[in-house]
Amino acid sequence: MSENLEQSFVKQLQENQNIIHKICRLYTNGDDAHKDLFQEITIQLWKAFPKFRGDSKFSTWAYRVALNTAITLYRKTKRSIYTIEFEGRQHFLNDVEYDYEEEEQLKLMYKAVYQLNDIEKALIFMYLEDKDYHEIAETLGISEVNARVKMNRIKGKLKKILNPLGI
Amino acid sequence: MKELDLLKKDWQKDDHSFEQVSEIEIYKMIHKKSSSIVKWILIISILEVLLWTCLSVCFDSDEYLEKIQHSEFIPYFEVLNYANYAVILVFIYLFYKNYILISTTASTKQLMKDILKTRKTVQYYVWYNLAMLVFSLIIGFIIAFVYNPEMEVLKEKIAENNKVMAITIGILLLISLLLFGLLWLFYRLLYGILLRRLYVNYKELKKIDL
Repeated sequence: MSENLEQSFVKQLQENQNIIHKICRLYTNGDDAHKDLFQEITIQLWKAFPKFRGDSKFSTWAYRVALNTAITLYRKTKRSIYTIEFEGRQHFLNDVEYDYEEEEQLKLMYKAVYQLNDIEKALIFMYLEDKDYHEIAETLGISEVNARVKMNRIKGKLKKILNPLGI
Repeated sequence: MKELDLLKKDWQKDDHSFEQVSEIEIYKMIHKKSSSIVKWILIISILEVLLWTCLSVCFDSDEYLEKIQHSEFIPYFEVLNYANYAVILVFIYLFYKNYILISTTASTKQLMKDILKTRKTVQYYVWYNLAMLVFSLIIGFIIAFVYNPEMEVLKEKIAENNKVMAITIGILLLISLLLFGLLWLFYRLLYGILLRRLYVNYKELKKIDL
């Protein structure tokens, strides 16, 4: 493959790398697994890059390849409890808008999302990225109606995880 | 859902909490080898095809037939052999075609389907070979039993005593079952490990789309 292609790929990936980091954060726990998945996604993106025609945004195209890698191709090396990473993720105390209660809620919410299965995570991920149901459905290969129904179910599931007694 | 909105807001804040990977590191990454399950499935599948092809090519029936002085069977075996090669070629073509279909840019469901389809092709190939193996065993046994002079002693014994017949068939069955069992276990373990997560996720996606 030509050097130009390589250059253009590396540059675009570098600029859009937070997408991949976010997926890694959702699907792995711990730094090693995060780096591992990041690398695998990068390789898969590079392999698919010649087919990327630029008629969609690099990021849109990258979502699909990255999610497919995380859900389908990547082999998790070990499973451990899902909560470690977000405990360590703290906002700066000198943040003006710092709100202790909100911070607590966020932590619980991240934990809840972590308990979803691989497919549910993909849906939630795209929802958080503000994708519409059309794109979500197309990426996963399901119908739009079913994507919507499933998303509502996931919301219900998250509510249940957050508040198991339903108070 | 209030909490979800809160999460969405926090999610979209590009707060650079991730350790940024440099361009040089990305260069290095794209030259590394993938460890994706597709690669492993491909490697194992090629080994499988090679193994079974080797077995069917290496098994030389002509010599045996000449030894027992019934070379009139040789043309039949030759036809069978060529038919077998044709089938092998068709399988290899199908396997290759399925493999190049696998693309990460397809939808998640399609990608899973394509991977499972590739796997299925190889599986059919293995079943085909097993069937051929059983078929050859039966033919081999019949030829040995009917035409091989060395079998006369056994034949006489069977004529004398029904028990010997039962034991002979029993032993043959046991060996075949044992072979099948071992192979089945081997595949379960091998692909169970590789494909378990894929199956789980595929089922989940299919459930959503009912």
